Amino acid sequence: MAVTVREPARQRVDRLERIWAEPRGVFGWLTTTDHKRIGLLYFFTALAFFGAGGIEALLMRAQLSEPNEKLLSPETYDQLMTMHGVTMIFLFVIPMTTGAFGNYLVPLMIGARDMAFPRMNALSYWLFLASGLFMYYSVFTHAAPNAGWFDYVPLALNQFSPGRNIDFYALGLIFNGIASTATAINLIATTFKLRAPGMSMNRMPLFCFAILAVSLSLIFALPSLTADLVFLELQRNLGFHFFDVANGGDPLLWQHLFWLFGHPEVYIIILPAFGIATSIIPTFARRKMIFPLVALAELLVAFIGFGVWAHRMFATGLPTITLVFFAAASMMVVIPSAIQIFAWTVTVALGRPEFRTPLLFIGGFILLFVIGGLSGIMFAAIPFDQATTDTYFVVAHFHFIIFGAAVFPILGGFYYWFPKITGRLYHEGLGKLSFWLTFLGTALTFFPMHILGLIGMPRRVYTYPSSLGWGPYNLSETVGAFILTAGLLVIFGNLVWSRFRGPPAGPDPWHGGTLEWATTSPPPPYNFPVIPVVTSAYPNWDRDDRRADAGRLERGELVLDEGHETPASTVVDAVPDEVVEMPGESPWPLAVALCTALLFVMLLTRHYAVAGIFAAMTLLAVAAWHSQEPQEQ
Amino acid sequence: MSALPHSGDATTPPAVTRIEHTRLARPNGWWGMAIFVATEATLFGTLIGTYYYLRFNNAHWPPPDVPEPKLTLPLVLTGILVATSLPMQLAVSAAGRGRLVTARVALLVAVVVQAGYLGMQLHLFVHDVHEFPPSRSSYSSIYFTMLGGHHLHVGIGVLLNVWLLLRTATGLTTYRMNALRATAFYWHFVNILALCVVGTQLSPRA
Repeated sequence: MAVTVREPARQRVDRLERIWAEPRGVFGWLTTTDHKRIGLLYFFTALAFFGAGGIEALLMRAQLSEPNEKLLSPETYDQLMTMHGVTMIFLFVIPMTTGAFGNYLVPLMIGARDMAFPRMNALSYWLFLASGLFMYYSVFTHAAPNAGWFDYVPLALNQFSPGRNIDFYALGLIFNGIASTATAINLIATTFKLRAPGMSMNRMPLFCFAILAVSLSLIFALPSLTADLVFLELQRNLGFHFFDVANGGDPLLWQHLFWLFGHPEVYIIILPAFGIATSIIPTFARRKMIFPLVALAELLVAFIGFGVWAHRMFATGLPTITLVFFAAASMMVVIPSAIQIFAWTVTVALGRPEFRTPLLFIGGFILLFVIGGLSGIMFAAIPFDQATTDTYFVVAHFHFIIFGAAVFPILGGFYYWFPKITGRLYHEGLGKLSFWLTFLGTALTFFPMHILGLIGMPRRVYTYPSSLGWGPYNLSETVGAFILTAGLLVIFGNLVWSRFRGPPAGPDPWHGGTLEWATTSPPPPYNFPVIPVVTSAYPNWDRDDRRADAGRLERGELVLDEGHETPASTVVDAVPDEVVEMPGESPWPLAVALCTALLFVMLLTRHYAVAGIFAAMTLLAVAAWHSQEPQEQ
Repeated sequence: MSALPHSGDATTPPAVTRIEHTRLARPNGWWGMAIFVATEATLFGTLIGTYYYLRFNNAHWPPPDVPEPKLTLPLVLTGILVATSLPMQLAVSAAGRGRLVTARVALLVAVVVQAGYLGMQLHLFVHDVHEFPPSRSSYSSIYFTMLGGHHLHVGIGVLLNVWLLLRTATGLTTYRMNALRATAFYWHFVNILALCVVGTQLSPRA
């Protein structure tokens, strides 16, 4: 009898397989709209840029290892420093967290079959790839951006930077911003509309809250950067006046707009790390997190992040009242950050923690975040900031935050979700070794920078005289950087080896609480054979609910096997509202990205008429894309 | 729950009307547009903020060699543009009730007025550029950047409406209905923006 009951379920799954199948081979990858494949494309691309940014860092560390070193010329050093910053922020962390983790995991965690706008998702990726290649092309023409990632005017104006370097930067980041905005819109709409039946806002996984907070920050932060960059390009290429005092402009306008974006940007970088930590900790501590407080803290960090930008500008001569306001606002960020730190540590302390590699990385993250946070609070004290600004103390602080606090959870996340993505387990011993190498390397690289800053070493110098006693600290940092690199190489070696040789992981090796662990590893193109119905914030720990899903599959309820379908729900309560037809694979996103890339190349080379032609072609490609409606596919 | 409406199946005006009636929440496309509008509003907030930042950094605004902004024509034109929110909203409600012809006529009226507005404004824009080119001072720089940004948005809106007219010529589907709703929302935003931009540009006369 069992056979006759199982038969319809088998047939439904087969039908889903047929409906959601994408073309094989390279063509399939070029036209894909599957959020998991796009997530993987993001992952590998961002990883390649991480490698490039890492090599730039190693070259700089080699140059700084000894006084009066002659490995790099000052001009090359400036280019490497600028590209390192731009790469790590715009081409590694943001695409890795929102593009790779967000894309791959958010639909799985909320029980959806794809993102809200699958074709726009593909477009985001191709735009991101093109913008990265656009910026890196500058390296091969020896005209890489060279005015720092903050690109201060007047240095960046064409009197002082006549080459194409700054145009690569400005146009590249406008281009990159389009991709990030599209991703953010997609992630917000997805978390709002595609949550599984019953997953009301207060049951949405904390990781998705973090991604939602990041996306909202991107939506409201990127425009001021875009406007700033447009002003810069108009001034550089068409003779407008925004930043020069002689014609009624103001160089500080650049800094205000840049940091109005740039400080929320710090939280954009770090919030996904919070989200990854709140995914890994409950799983390995076997204990649920305090839900509403952490969710609110995540949103609050993103919100307060918009009110603190001028603390980057304490040394620019702003009025005292302004400084005090921003100092107070900066102190306030401590509150939601501390709420989260206490929530993480208490969850670990009260649970039954199992210190596997992912949790080790989270432990390292918490420690490095506390150190980086404490040096951050110091900067909110205006006199201290004015004494240490533009020294290595600042470099130490933000590397503890950006590398220690933002990248450690990303590395932990690689290990944590590796079994889900590949279906295989990584090597635990090598994993632990890689953690200790990375952790010690990080401490050795970035901790001495505090001391160097306090004894007066300025930032952004390509070398220094031997009489100042900075040599030994710098040498230890360089040694640390190479240990850190060794740790990272062990991670990637481990993951590559395990991809082919690791033991099978099964669907749920860690007994995770969120829905991505409820499906097979790797997940099928349609994610779930039956749309899960959710009754708590940790749905995969509700065994009865998951058994009920299996029963629904037998009966054919919420299987949605009549087309490329997923349910859409109400925004707050996730009451299922309609079944929407999702678009499938399409060549148009790639075509649009290609036309846009050519448009930016023409702007760079100042062929404005040809740029107009490519703008028109972009619009035509967009129209062709939208003339193919999902139900017609 | 198996009785959930399949919105992809709605490819005729009556079917679309049924979906419109049973739907509890706004469709994905509307949300996508709403979030896009939020980021665009921030962009224009930055432009307007920059305008005042530069204004308070300059003793003479506009500078002595630039004529004061004209009052009547920009206000009249803005009023005409803002009025097109009405036919846009009419098109949405008519299409939602299955009256495709009414919806398309409303769309056509809107797009003709909007295109006329854009043509008139571009003419004025070119005239002003010759009178006080953007390379003369920070005043003319932000003036033309802001104005150009708004005209670009009107232009995109006109293209969206033309596309909607072409697509609805072969009937109505949920996809097109959602597109119409999102486009109308976009136009309400562009029209509010027009008021903000013209208010900012005329502020030296206040």
